[in-house]
Amino acid sequence: MVMNIDTAKKVIKAAIKQAREMNRLCSVAVVDARGFLVALHRMDQALIPTVDIARDKAWTAATFRMPSSDVGRFGDPSSPGFGFNTQNWNDRLTTIPGGLPIKDGDEVVGGVGVCGGTPEEDVTVCRAALDKVFASVGVDAKI
Amino acid sequence: MEKITLEMAEKMLEAAERWATLSGYPSSIAVVDEAGAVIAVHRMDGAGPMTTDISINKAFSAVYSGAPTLMLARLLDPRMTGKTIGSGGLGLLTQARLRLMFIPGGNPIRDGEMKVIGGIGCSGIPDGVGEISDTTAVQAGYAAIYEEHD
Repeated sequence: MVMNIDTAKKVIKAAIKQAREMNRLCSVAVVDARGFLVALHRMDQALIPTVDIARDKAWTAATFRMPSSDVGRFGDPSSPGFGFNTQNWNDRLTTIPGGLPIKDGDEVVGGVGVCGGTPEEDVTVCRAALDKVFASVGVDAKI
Repeated sequence: MEKITLEMAEKMLEAAERWATLSGYPSSIAVVDEAGAVIAVHRMDGAGPMTTDISINKAFSAVYSGAPTLMLARLLDPRMTGKTIGSGGLGLLTQARLRLMFIPGGNPIRDGEMKVIGGIGCSGIPDGVGEISDTTAVQAGYAAIYEEHD
């Protein structure tokens, strides 16, 4: 599977539906495997900074091939990866939860990022969207 | 002042994408609100990665300047800049943290009172190749929300 605009729109629709049910105003971004933006929607009245945060979360999840929250463990001063946060990655790196990689089996084909609620709510929205979109086509979207 | 909703933005994107498909060049289209903040962006299958940011920045530039980016492009025309450095639009180059685009393809969206309520930008269709350009694609997008009001 390759990330395309139709899949991205489906993921975004599902995420926004979930966010509405939870009464949250969110931005949802979907990027391809290289981290390039495919589609982004901001719900009416959602805050302006959520746009870039959602995009950054999706970028981090897709390029690190792990949930954006997992990237934070490299920042532990006792871990060998400490200091990675000072690298310049397009100013895109974020360790806030709410970005999940989109997987086709073992292969990462993209990432989705949600911003608008608490970090836990953002992850719930991401997960709900991936479950809903990929359950029907038999793609393993579990993290 | 009217506001652009996500629903309206999706309608505009759909119409502009139809024109981009007609032109044969996959492209990115972005709709922003009155603050220049993104409401929706789509990158069509086959469109290059750089087109997303260019379309967002074109829409932003249209809101920021209150004019089509075609007008900004005109400001940098050698015939407009004149003999004195700085007499034309050169100073604009570094405005808005380098986000201003001087390429046609971004138009402001106005309400009934001619207030700017948002912008729409398209990137990916080359100018002067066919009948359809970035500018005509965004004009089609703009028209899509006004069809309903009639």
